[in-house]
Amino acid sequence: MAVVPGVSGLSAVAPRAATSPRPSSAEGTARARGAGLLKPGIVVVVLIVLGLFVPSVLKSTFYLGLLVNAITLGIAALAIGFLAHQSGLMMFGAAAFTGSATYLFAIAVTQFGWNAMTAAAFTLVGATLLSALIGALVVRARPLPFAMLTLALAQMLRSLVMVTDFRPITGGDDGLALNFSGTFFGLTQAQLSTPEGFWPVAWLALCGVMLLAWAAGRSRTGSVLRAIRSNEERMRFSGFNTYLPRVLAFTLSGFIAAVSGLLTGLYTAFASPELLDFATGGNALVSTLVGGISTVAGPVLGALLYVVGQDQFGATGHLELLTGLGVVLVIVAFPEGIMGFIRNGIARLFKRGAHAVPNAPVKKGADHAAR
Amino acid sequence: MDFSQAFNIAQLANALALASLLTILASGLALIFGLRDVMNFGHGALFMLGAYLGYTFSGLFNFWAALVIVPLLLALLGVLFEYAAIRPLQRRSHMDVALVTFGLALILSQVVIKVWGTAPLSVSAPPSLAGSLDLFGHAYPAYRIFLIAMGFGTCVLLAAWLKWTRSGMHVRAVSQQPMVARMMGVNTDRLSLLVVCLGTGFAGLAGVLAGPYLSVDPAMGASILISCLIVVVIGGLGSIGGAIAAAVVFGLIQVIGALISPTLAVMAPYMLLFIVLLWRPQGLGRGRVA
Repeated sequence: MAVVPGVSGLSAVAPRAATSPRPSSAEGTARARGAGLLKPGIVVVVLIVLGLFVPSVLKSTFYLGLLVNAITLGIAALAIGFLAHQSGLMMFGAAAFTGSATYLFAIAVTQFGWNAMTAAAFTLVGATLLSALIGALVVRARPLPFAMLTLALAQMLRSLVMVTDFRPITGGDDGLALNFSGTFFGLTQAQLSTPEGFWPVAWLALCGVMLLAWAAGRSRTGSVLRAIRSNEERMRFSGFNTYLPRVLAFTLSGFIAAVSGLLTGLYTAFASPELLDFATGGNALVSTLVGGISTVAGPVLGALLYVVGQDQFGATGHLELLTGLGVVLVIVAFPEGIMGFIRNGIARLFKRGAHAVPNAPVKKGADHAAR
Repeated sequence: MDFSQAFNIAQLANALALASLLTILASGLALIFGLRDVMNFGHGALFMLGAYLGYTFSGLFNFWAALVIVPLLLALLGVLFEYAAIRPLQRRSHMDVALVTFGLALILSQVVIKVWGTAPLSVSAPPSLAGSLDLFGHAYPAYRIFLIAMGFGTCVLLAAWLKWTRSGMHVRAVSQQPMVARMMGVNTDRLSLLVVCLGTGFAGLAGVLAGPYLSVDPAMGASILISCLIVVVIGGLGSIGGAIAAAVVFGLIQVIGALISPTLAVMAPYMLLFIVLLWRPQGLGRGRVA
């Protein structure tokens, strides 16, 4: 008994990760914190606004399309990374939450005939409720059974949508092609289906969920969560509720995954059983680990590298072979992911410790995604 | 819904045939997990490689030769796996190692496709097992009976080894209390080499045995891997007995479910996993609580 969740391997990143994002927040007063955040805050806002103009700089529809794909994958990867970092639970079946969101959106549009905005709101609320429900059941599981449970959930949903009895609703293995009426924040379906038109939606969604995940990590609940991750028993003895924060984290992670699924629905206007496949969740999982889980930018950077890598590898005709090699090499060479490697590199360069710039992760990610 | 048909002896035998294949694979997976804490996502690919090698060696010599040679070759591959992947990464997190095995599986399956192509191949059962036997009034393929015998024979041997030999005792000790076992002077590295070879060898054995039973194609590894993972988790991580019991339950549910309602059959394994894990988070067996 008494197996500490931290022992489950994530301990390698735990000590630094637990302290680094907010060195000052513990002792700093709210005012000091607010003042400290002002300057980085301006930088972040400027980066977000600058990011909106990416399509006018990057003229190639192909590369812009890749970036949009990287954003959708990156948000899903962020959902996995957030939960892994805050709770030490690795979601193997992230596809269950991204895919079910796409399906919810598709069903709301095709079955209920709702317009895009209503369907999108319904999707986010529905998927979040679903993940709260699932989270209430599964967060008690230990990391490996947890991974298997979420994987099984994805597989189960995948089988469910293929069932012939549900064919009228889910479209079976043909999937559901959507034709949504109305506009999504003033954008019609035709506009959303081009990378240029979709860019602002994807970009703002990415910035939104990154800020959300970052703020959640900085919050008191975030600290409690990481404390639970490193020693659940001790936290319980200290009088903390160790269950609710984890359900909360899971729900937030499910919400982030749902944002990714919704983006897929809006952009591709298609829901297919492949979205619920192990491989889809696998892409996000690999991106997460390639990028590193201890920052919010890591998974997004990982997704960018993954999408670019897939494009490059695909051109050679040895996609899976090179993907396999890439995964093995990156994981062996970068224990804390590429982002961890970059952070350590910067820290070593400036000899100021890894926590020199509290906001570096957010800026870095924005920077990379915008490139 | 015809229950009398669902529960006849032939269906039971079918369930056992599937279960015996799963048991061989899952016990290998459980052994490696118990000793090294490595969830080997490459197990499906090893199984596939075993099946393809089985096809080649059956063609070159005969089925029986393949049944001996292939597990030995896969055990050799296990040596490589232990020295090149598991040992250097033993201080890394579960997920890192799991993903490395996943990457290795991708590579291995591509190599298999390069060598043997993507077309499904079929292996015929050896002549002595090609016919059918009379099983309580039902004609039943002899090969499946052989498969069941092999599956459960392997399990009995494995259980005997674990229960009555010194190295088996060490394996059980490390699986249940890794730290304590190490403190008592059990050489985990040496043991792990043995166990990983055994695990990969078992995957090869299962692959050869699967040849005449299933078709040999590149997708066979991935589809059985998830079943295997479910079996191992339901059985209790690191518990061999639990894995065997879970494989039998899994086989029964899948085969009988397919007869009662195909809809139910595809969902049943996952429902089973959910129910078992929520009811008994440590799984059915007396594995480690980790």
